[in-house]
Order: sequence, then structure tokens, then C-alpha cells
Amino acid sequence: MSIAKILEIALKTGRVTRKYPYEPPLLTSEFRGAVRIDPSKCWGCGACVKICPPNALALRNSGKEATLEYFVGRCIFCGMCAEVCPAKAIEVTKEFELSSTSLENLKSRVIHRLTRCSSCGSLVWTEAELKSVVKSSPIAEEYAVLCPKCRKSKFARAASIRIGVGSE
Amino acid sequence: MSSVNIARALKAIKRSIWVYHLNSGSCNACDIEILDALTPYFDVERFGIKLVGSPRHADLILLTGPVTRESLPKVVRAIKAMPRPRLILALGSCGVGGGIWWDTYSTIGGFKKLEDILRENGVEVDRVVYVPGCPVRPEAIIYGILLLLGVVEQKVKKVEVVASES
Amino acid sequence: MKDEVRTIVEKIGGVVEEVKKSEIYVRIPQQTVRTAARLLYDSEAYFKTCVGVDEREVNGFYTIYHIFGLDSQGVDIVLKVLVPEEDPQTSSIVSEVPAADWCELEIQDLLGIKFGGRLTKRLVLPEDWPDGVYPLRKEFRYDEKPSRVIREELHEEAGIPVGPYHPALHEPEYFELYVEGEKVVDVAYRGFHVHRGIEKLAESPRFTYKQVPFLAERICGICGFVHSTCYIMAVEKAADIETPERAEFIRSIVLEVERLHSHLLWIGVAAHLLGYDAGFMHAWRIREHVMVLAEYLTGSRKTYGINVIGGVRKDLNVDKIDKTMKTIAQVREEFKKLADALLSIPQIKSRAVGTGVLTKSEARALSVVGPVARASGLYRDVRKDYPYLAYGRVSFRVPLYTEGDNLARLLVRVEEVFESIEIVKQLVDLLPGGSVVVEEYDIPPGRKAVAAIEAPRGEDVHFVITGLGRPYRWRVRAPTYQNIPALRAMLRGTPLADAPLTIASIDPCFSCTDRVLVVDIETGRKSFIKLVRGG
Repeated sequence: MSIAKILEIALKTGRVTRKYPYEPPLLTSEFRGAVRIDPSKCWGCGACVKICPPNALALRNSGKEATLEYFVGRCIFCGMCAEVCPAKAIEVTKEFELSSTSLENLKSRVIHRLTRCSSCGSLVWTEAELKSVVKSSPIAEEYAVLCPKCRKSKFARAASIRIGVGSE
Repeated sequence: MSSVNIARALKAIKRSIWVYHLNSGSCNACDIEILDALTPYFDVERFGIKLVGSPRHADLILLTGPVTRESLPKVVRAIKAMPRPRLILALGSCGVGGGIWWDTYSTIGGFKKLEDILRENGVEVDRVVYVPGCPVRPEAIIYGILLLLGVVEQKVKKVEVVASES
Repeated sequence: MKDEVRTIVEKIGGVVEEVKKSEIYVRIPQQTVRTAARLLYDSEAYFKTCVGVDEREVNGFYTIYHIFGLDSQGVDIVLKVLVPEEDPQTSSIVSEVPAADWCELEIQDLLGIKFGGRLTKRLVLPEDWPDGVYPLRKEFRYDEKPSRVIREELHEEAGIPVGPYHPALHEPEYFELYVEGEKVVDVAYRGFHVHRGIEKLAESPRFTYKQVPFLAERICGICGFVHSTCYIMAVEKAADIETPERAEFIRSIVLEVERLHSHLLWIGVAAHLLGYDAGFMHAWRIREHVMVLAEYLTGSRKTYGINVIGGVRKDLNVDKIDKTMKTIAQVREEFKKLADALLSIPQIKSRAVGTGVLTKSEARALSVVGPVARASGLYRDVRKDYPYLAYGRVSFRVPLYTEGDNLARLLVRVEEVFESIEIVKQLVDLLPGGSVVVEEYDIPPGRKAVAAIEAPRGEDVHFVITGLGRPYRWRVRAPTYQNIPALRAMLRGTPLADAPLTIASIDPCFSCTDRVLVVDIETGRKSFIKLVRGG
């Protein structure tokens, strides 16, 4: 009897239903959920923005500030941003309960102040990036506050003075 | 038409919410997770949620996909056919924000744009819940519906932090 | 080149441009393409797909590649035809190779090349797409949105519409069944609702080689890993990147896990369509073990996201191997009981026997793939014909049936579940050590490669021409693309009540099929109506 066969399966299996949300979800330890950006670690370098396949991460420059925006509503939860982040500021969480009644609630922003070149005044770095560069590389303070162009010319001037050529 | 009392309507359908699954060109992953939510491990019939075959019977539309150019007129028609209040769950990264193909020539890019087009066509949507995920887990779908019904609290909120101050 | 292959290539004539281990590129003049196609088809070659490429900036021509697979030799023969820019026309091979029907229409839609000597209609682009705008031409920007063209809606007299939104379909596709009494006499298919412009997007500046696997994975939410693996295999083949052996094994294991979930899904849906919801629920309950396993191995229930060029992002450890073995043992035991119960129900058998028959000769002419081919007596399985990844190292059986009906297709899939479980077991036993990814590689532009994988639904083919930083052209031919045209043969003469099951029996996956766009069909429409009247 075919009906008896399926009844046997059903009786043997019993109830399997997870009573979510009253019981924990069926998550495994490997699950990749939304990412979280740690604003105290983020440099605003934009490496994550470059790798993000759906453009869920965007870096917007307003002239004074650079804003890193994470729109979880377009995130594909691949975790590539966490992999490429040089500052290890991005963490993949297990968060999946992300429902919201408005799109604005799905956005998180990290706002970076920008620093200007002390010589020509053009925008160069975010403050955090500058700090981390100064910390991790033996660059002199007077060079660090310059934009690449001014730094090059300053370095060239200094070098030419040292070897004694081209001094006007 | 007089304005719709959403709170009353939600109270009325709280224990028997009929959903219609509207695929607007999604990759299938969210769609099979919707089906998965009906099967023994998640069993959404616990909440009286039932999948129906026509938008005319539906309290809630589960919208998946980025809304492709080809499916757009049909999606508009399906949503128009729905009785008020029109409740919509925009599912997955495509439904919410257009997904990985949000700016290509053959998609319109997420629910925001669809809402504008619906308005142009005189179709009011009374409430939307956005459910991110790629694909959305069955639990996330359940969570989204329960959020709509007011059974659970919304967890996410807008975050704006200045980097150097933290 | 083997002697058998050389003989065939010499017979084709033309210029042999490139010979690789498993691909031979032959450039032939337009006039001989038809005879060459005939010759290849007569020499046991299957038609895989054709690809149109805008290579004007490279050589001043549009190029069409017709890819034929010599399954018996494990070699692809690619015919290359140059089409001049001023006069984008070439000859059609549909009269010789019926399987080329769709891909020629697709090239016409997306690249604007006319095929002489055949009926043409719009296939991929939406109804409201303007004429003369071709997305795959290089001057077209991927995010352009040409304005809508309002076309008059034509109504069919004799059709029973199924879709695009229909309770029996989980994806928006439109079938029109023409009936006489209770018998279906013809079918019109208006698909491509899920065209998202993926191929164009991959060559746009938004994407790089590294990111495309994530896009490829989202071609299809059911067999996404197949697509990302296939894309990566094509790129690795083109650029001669050696993947670590361990990564190849892990990819194979995940591919088989994906096949398990896909087949269990289909068997559940088939039971549901046959009115046996208890079977549906139990099949999906068993499938849930596979979903949890997939998440544990990769980090996501679907669209796994572990594939990168050069290897995989997640290694297997002892716990994962242990969980894999336990899960497949449990699935095997539970599925065996369920399959027994399912197949012993007389109603299921009587609904599936003799319905939706696809004969061997029809299957051959349309070059159908996967379980559909194997249920119609064609012994085709990419895992055997062109052993890729770790499949050369394991032994398994390819289920073969000759009836070609819905039951045969059901049985093929049921048996494949057990074979997949055996494959996973062997792969885990043989799993070699070492690293799982190579970080350093270089992808030179201008290289070509064809890669194929046996997806749950059949052979998936990817063709890549490399470019600078991103693919110059990437073409995907999903298995369903090859199988849908066979539906017409299957449905003709079938009672209307069996149509949903028959449509489902090819396990259609429209999102795979519809990456590109199609439209209407004045001439095609007329011929359908004629068939109804004459039938």
C-alpha cells in the first residue's frame, strides 16, 4: 500500500518545524550576513567600493567630507569587501533580520573629514587615512600633509639642493 | 476613494494572510526560498500564510526580481489587480535595490523606481516592507511578514557616524 | 589532433586558426558555413551554440562562432565566420541544424546581424524595444535606456494562455497552448522576461574578471554555482591558469551538492504538479538537509560566492567533511524511502507514462541536453564526455532510458540523486591536500576558450574572449535554452491536463535562459495560427 509507505515516513520523521521567531533560526556557523563597518578603523580608502560587485558600497565626496555608504538593500553578502579591507574595518556578521519599512533605514554611513594639502590646498586624504599612513610608514610629517604633486616637487627640490645642482 | 485604514486591515488579516508571489525577473533563488518557507522546516502556515494563485485574492504581494523591462507592464497590471490596502514585500537585493544588475539597459532597478511608475499609473501602494538578502533566507521572509503585521520589532536603523569622532 | 578529428577538420576546409587541447578554431567563408555545419552534424557532432561578437575594433568585422561538440572525441570544433560591417548579413544554418534556431535569433536581436534564408522574428528583446538598437554592439552603453516604442497588441484567437503569471509557473514566462478539444496541437513560447543584460554588463566598466563570478552565480538561483564555475573554467583555460587540485575537488563536491538540491527540488515540484503534495513536502524536507550543508560548506544557502579565479575562497576542514558524509548518508536513506513510496503510487505512473514523449531522432536534431537527452536514449553527459575538474577521478553510472516520456525523465533524475551521493563520497575520500587558491595570475587579452559543465539541467556552455581587465565577450548558453525548443515536440498531441507536468519535466530554468532580450513575431505568429487551423 502506497499510502502506508508515506505514513510510515511521516510517523518516523515526526515534527521538524523550527518555530522561528520563537525558536532560533536554522543558521550554521559559516553563514554570511550583512557586513558592519567599524568607523574607528575605517580609513575611507575605497578598496571595498572598488571590489563590491553590486555597488552596495559607495564613496561620495562632497568637497569637505567623504562618505562611505553601505546600502544593505543591494548587498549580495559575498564578503569580498571584508576580504580586501586593508584596515580590517569590515566584519561579516550573521545578521539577516534586516527588514525595514523604509529604504533610509537600510543605509549606514561613515563620514570622513578630508584634509587639504598644506601647500596648494587641494583635497588629498581622509584624516583617518593620513593618520594610518603616518603611523605605518616612516614618512616625515612635513611630507605627509602634502598632495602627491607638491610632495614630488618638494622632494625634487630638496634632493637637488643636497646634490648641489639646479639651485637658482 | 476614502483613505484606507491600514491598521484595521492589518488586524483583520493578522491570522490569515494570503500572499501572491510576483516574480519580476529574478534569478529564482528568492523564489525557491519562498517555496521553502512553505515546506516543513519553516511552515509559514503556522501564521495562516497561504500562497494564492491570483493577485485579486491576495492581501500581500511578495515581489522578487529587479523588474525587467519586459515584465514591467505585467507587474504593474498584477499590482493594479490587487485590492486595497495594497501591501507589498520587496524581497531580496533585487527587489529592494535592483541587485547586481541595478543599472543595466533591461532592468528598471528596484522598488523605488517601480513605485514611481505605479504612481504615474495611478496605482497606490499602501505599505511596503523591504527585505534584503541575496537570496533572502526563509527566516528573513517570515521576519519581514511579521514586521508588517507588527509582531516583531524592526532591528535595522539608519546609522551615520563621523569616523574620527568614534 | 587525433586522426578522426583531423579528417573531419580537413573535410570542412577553411583555415585552421588555433588548435588547443580540446578546441579547434576553423575560419571558413560565409558561403560554406552551411555545408560545414551539415558535415559536422553528420559526423556525430552536437550543436552547442553560436556566439555573435562585435570584433570591429579588433579586426573590422562582426564575428560569428558556431560551436560544435564532438562528444565522442571530447573536442569542440568552433567555426568562425566573419561578417562585414557594411553589410551585416550571413547565411543561416537552421535548415541543417535545427538547434541553431534560437541563438541565431538572439544574435540578430542583440547584434543586428541578419540571417538569410530563414524566418526571423524578435526573440530576446522586450516588446517595447526600438528597432535598430543593438545592445551587444560595442558603441551601446550597458546602462542606456532607449525610449519605449508602443506596439499594437495582437490578440490570439485560439490560444490558451499560460503565464506570464500563472499558478503553475514560478517564473514569468508565457506559453500559449493551441488546443483542439483536449489535445494540444501547438505551442508558442514568449519568454525572455528575465533578460537582465548580464552578458553586456560583464563587459562594461563596472565589472572586472574578479567580480564576474558573482554576477555569473546570479544568472540562476538554482544552479548558480555551475555558471560561476563554468565562467571561471573558461577564463582559466584561456589564460592557462593552473588551479590547485584541492580547489578542483572542492568545486566538484559543491557542484554535486548543488545537483542534489536541484533534483530534490524538481522531484518535489513534479510530485506537486501530479497532485501529490505529501511527496512535495517530504522531498523538500529532505532537501533542507542539503541546503543546510551547502550553507555550512560555503556560507550561503544559495549563490554560494566561494568561487574565484584561481581557486575557491573556503577550504574544507575535518568538521565540514564529517558533516558532509553524515548529511549525504541521511539524505540517501530518507530519499530511498521516499522514492520507493513515490514510484509505487499507480496514479503517478499512469500520469507520467507515455506523456510528453520526445523521440530519439527529435532529441538528436535539437541537440537537447541533460536528463532530457538521457531519457530519450542519448548518452550525453559532460562529466563523461569532457571530464573536467575532478570528474575524471571518480566512477559513476549515467542513467539512460529510451522511452523519452515524463516517467523516464523522472527516473533519470531519481537515479542521478543516488549517483551524486556516490560521487560526493568518492571525492571526499580522494580529497588531496595543498592550497585552495592561486593568487598570482595574468590574463592576457584576445584569448578564447569554451568551457562546459554538466549542470543539473544539462550541459552548460560558456564562451569567453578575454579583454583588458574584463571579458571582451562572454557568452552563456544555459541548458534550458537548448531544451525549451523541444517542448513543442513534447506537447504536440498531449492532453491539456498533462501540459504543466510536461513543461516542468525539462526542469525549465528561465532565469538561466533569458539573459538577453527578444520580441514579436508577426511572421512566426502567422505560422502558428496556420498550424492550428491545419491541425
